[in-house]
Amino acid sequence: MTEQTEFERELAVMLVTSLNLSQDPAAIAPDAPLFREGLGLDSIDMLEIALAVSKQYGVELRADDPDNQTIFSSLRALAAVIAARRTGM
Amino acid sequence: MAAHWFEQRERGSALLIGLMRTIALKGGRRVAGLLLWPITLYFYATAGSARTALARYYEAQGERPTTRLLFNHYLTFARTILDRVYLLARRSDAPPLRVRGFEAVQEWLDRGQGCVLLGAHLGSFEAARAAGLRHEGLKMQIIMEQNVSRKLNKVLSVLDPGAAETTVGLGGPLALLRVRDTIAAGGLAGIMGDRLTAAQAGYAAEFFGRKCLFPLAPLRLAGSLRAPVFFFAALYRRSVDGAAYYEVVFEPLAAPAPEGAARRKWLQDLGARYVACLQRYCRMAPDNWFNFYDFWSTHPLGDLHARAAGKPACDGGNLDGAGLAARRGAQRAP
Repeated sequence: MTEQTEFERELAVMLVTSLNLSQDPAAIAPDAPLFREGLGLDSIDMLEIALAVSKQYGVELRADDPDNQTIFSSLRALAAVIAARRTGM
Repeated sequence: MAAHWFEQRERGSALLIGLMRTIALKGGRRVAGLLLWPITLYFYATAGSARTALARYYEAQGERPTTRLLFNHYLTFARTILDRVYLLARRSDAPPLRVRGFEAVQEWLDRGQGCVLLGAHLGSFEAARAAGLRHEGLKMQIIMEQNVSRKLNKVLSVLDPGAAETTVGLGGPLALLRVRDTIAAGGLAGIMGDRLTAAQAGYAAEFFGRKCLFPLAPLRLAGSLRAPVFFFAALYRRSVDGAAYYEVVFEPLAAPAPEGAARRKWLQDLGARYVACLQRYCRMAPDNWFNFYDFWSTHPLGDLHARAAGKPACDGGNLDGAGLAARRGAQRAP
């Protein structure tokens, strides 16, 4: 398992807090899928994550987002999308 | 033993459904209504396990499931399907809708706050949608399993192509953002809260005196949408002179969900209120219950989970602490 970057770590903590997971954020593999396989989160969890991302980083994810297929492919992919789109933090 | 609803095959062919649609529109409600008797008789006679399951539903209410009672139940089901034609085509011969309790929903809508409507396979959701469509400009979305009754829905969709746009399937990871958008725009989102699917987790509740599992996902979704939650149903009723009408009811279930740890208690309360409400309306209009399978069967958490072994559970969770922990525990990355 590869190491989490600082931002991925921050994001992992946000995931665990907003979804009330009993998991250690540091143990989330940055390249494991978030949706279904891997972490085994469902579409309601994804909704909750999208809301938390919008609140914390001002990045709006949309139902028809062109990156939707990849956004939740891993913690790393999610971090990359947020980092690319976030506006002045 | 009755197959679970998601394992049941849709009966009836697209050709015959299309023929019935034509007769219904050209011949009118009275003529089509007469045809419902032989059609219902056929479906009733060949129903097999679904009929046994229905008998169990009446027994759970302390009612003796006579042939007459069960046949009438099937007839009510057939009538609500036929009425979908008239409601969708917005025909004047569609039965009238008598709406009760919408004021409380309207109060939120007037403040620009969208609401979640938690329903069941009780009565006609088409009539409920028709009640909503009377409100000019009201945004409405119904979240449903799109693999069920596919043939029927396809034949009926030509009557009102716009109606299909108001239904959302539970597809990709961000499909539910559409529902969030509807709520954010001050609209209504309708969710069914009674049927448990494969690989879903449920919460246990007493339903007609017997422990029963209900899906947790609809409650969780309502929580994540942070909107007030109402029970809704459109019940097929007949007045003393025999004329049919739909009684469309709305009842408050919960205020918008709190954040953090308080959410669990909110989910528990919502589940308890929802099931109590459902039971009350089942008693009021027992023949509107359209779950033709063994509703009390405990197997979704049993062998279906075993069948899905190796895969983590999706769309689920359990309301009690242990269950939730187990679900989360199973989610550790390999």
